[in-house]
Amino acid sequence: MLALRGIEKAYPLAGGTLPVLKGIDLNIEQGEMVAIMGSSGSGKSTLLNVLGLLDGFDSGGYDLDGVDMSGLSEKQAARYRSLFLGFVFQSFNLISFKTAVENVALPLFYQKVPRRERQKRAMEMLGKMGMDDRADHLPSELSGGQKQRVAIARALITEPRVILADEPTGALDSSTSQDVVSVLREVNGSGITVIIVTHEADIAAKCDRTIRLHDGVIIEDGRSGDVVEPTANGAGSTD
Amino acid sequence: MFNRETWIEIAHTVTANPLRTALTGLSVGLGIFILVVMQGLGFGLQNGVEQDFADEAKNTIWVRTGTTTLAHRGRQPNRYIELRDEDEERVTEQVVETPAVSGRLSMWGSTVQYKNEQGNYPLMGVEPDFAELDLIPLEGGRWLHQDDVEKESKVCVIGENVINELFKQRSPIGEYIILRGITFRVVGHFAKNGRWGNSMVYIPMTTMQRLFQGNDAIGSMVLSTGDRDLEASTAMVDAIDGDLRLRHAVHPEDQRAVRVRDNQEEYAMFDRIFKGIRLFIWVIGGFTLLAGAIGVANIMAIVVKERTVEIGVRKALGATSGSILSLIVIEAVCLTLISGALGLIAGVATLNYAAPYAQHDYFTDPEVNLRVTVTALVVLVLAGALSGLVPALRAVRIRPIEALRYE
Repeated sequence: MLALRGIEKAYPLAGGTLPVLKGIDLNIEQGEMVAIMGSSGSGKSTLLNVLGLLDGFDSGGYDLDGVDMSGLSEKQAARYRSLFLGFVFQSFNLISFKTAVENVALPLFYQKVPRRERQKRAMEMLGKMGMDDRADHLPSELSGGQKQRVAIARALITEPRVILADEPTGALDSSTSQDVVSVLREVNGSGITVIIVTHEADIAAKCDRTIRLHDGVIIEDGRSGDVVEPTANGAGSTD
Repeated sequence: MFNRETWIEIAHTVTANPLRTALTGLSVGLGIFILVVMQGLGFGLQNGVEQDFADEAKNTIWVRTGTTTLAHRGRQPNRYIELRDEDEERVTEQVVETPAVSGRLSMWGSTVQYKNEQGNYPLMGVEPDFAELDLIPLEGGRWLHQDDVEKESKVCVIGENVINELFKQRSPIGEYIILRGITFRVVGHFAKNGRWGNSMVYIPMTTMQRLFQGNDAIGSMVLSTGDRDLEASTAMVDAIDGDLRLRHAVHPEDQRAVRVRDNQEEYAMFDRIFKGIRLFIWVIGGFTLLAGAIGVANIMAIVVKERTVEIGVRKALGATSGSILSLIVIEAVCLTLISGALGLIAGVATLNYAAPYAQHDYFTDPEVNLRVTVTALVVLVLAGALSGLVPALRAVRIRPIEALRYE
């Protein structure tokens, strides 16, 4: 489903560049639930952004559903994002002046789905998230967990093949975090690939597979039970 | 493009910071208000002058005389130059060809009596061509004929004011009035704008000369230039002026003794002046609008900055650069158009309210025509689009990941 081959990415700095991803090779199959872990600056969010076509890469190759994503125009990237990918952000990123249902329906607007259809599907999706009674509430009227449920509903509304979640529980308490992960697990249960960037081991433990990054390199990639807490230098160690 | 979502976005932008929006809108609204009012004043001035010109045909030359101010060919100054029949004959038979000519000998404050009613009105002796030269709109009866001039008939054509005051709305045709003690038959009446036009009593020139003047003086003279262009009519003026100065021994530099005015040239001069005024008004209005448009561009730049993360989210959700661009440009156009339309309405309302209080000989009907209104609206839309375009282009250049990282 997603295949990265030797992906390299560096950010320009004054007087040079800062390499962030150093030859990432990665395959993620349809229906997997993958956690990407790593210390701050390890490149995990950059990797997620490359996977989500939000950011480009300097060299290497990326196939999404068998299609080469190298050298996509902005418009093509927007189309692939719209058709294949759904995003969940740490800070929810709901649009403040739109109600929950309007936020959920927004991706369908960019797919030119008629308004009535958008409204109907958004309400159904909110219902699945147990949020239909909050449909007309503004984000400011929702709790953190409720906002993230709305954000997940928004990510799912276009029936994407992959959900990319960047620290989806980073702004939530532990109880709500578990709740959100359960929702993502349910989403994954319907066959959608879920990729979560997290620094929380208990969140990663709920996933099928954990990839650990250190200094732009994958240092561990295995079943979640097999990949364990990092040491001080970021490298993992087995219990 | 104009769906519910678009209007929600616009409403949000407008209401998110009402004071900022109001001040920005005020700058645009004030700009268009000033433009409209200035245009209205310009038109008022133009209408006033055009109305003044409308009282007489544009293709006419008016010859007037006065007292000499310079000695010439052994003649002392302060000599009154009086036009006579022979001047008119010489000018029209030997100097220039003209399709219409008339002398105009007037007597102000002449007593006119009809039965028990009487009043003072200006009396003017003219020839049949005068109706065409002075654009006299006949409302009833007939104008003076050549036969009236040849027979020195005691007939007259009177203005609307005379009818209203002496005849009390009754038809005056065929009625007899007493002019300076002599009975005249009313053969026609007219209604004409202007200060004196409607109060005038016209009689045949020969009757005027014989009964009230006692000689063949014709006062002043008006001639038609026909279909001559400005250059040819100017040549006609020069020929008449030169001939009269030669015949009456008037110094070439004497500006008061002989005055030959070309209506066509004067109209062209006023036209040039008004074109200049209109251009000046558009330039001033344009700069005022530009200031408003810069204000809108400024607010849109702030809006884009404030909504950078949101733009990133939208792009992540599938928004294309085109949809972001159109959203911001439409917001700017709407902001400009709404505030501009309010300025336009306020400007038109002000002119409409002020118009009745601003009537003067050289200033009338300070209106804003459809062309100006449409132009102003087009300018507003363009100004709005341009003011939104720069921040919109900046917004679409933001990569989604940069926008999402923006704090």
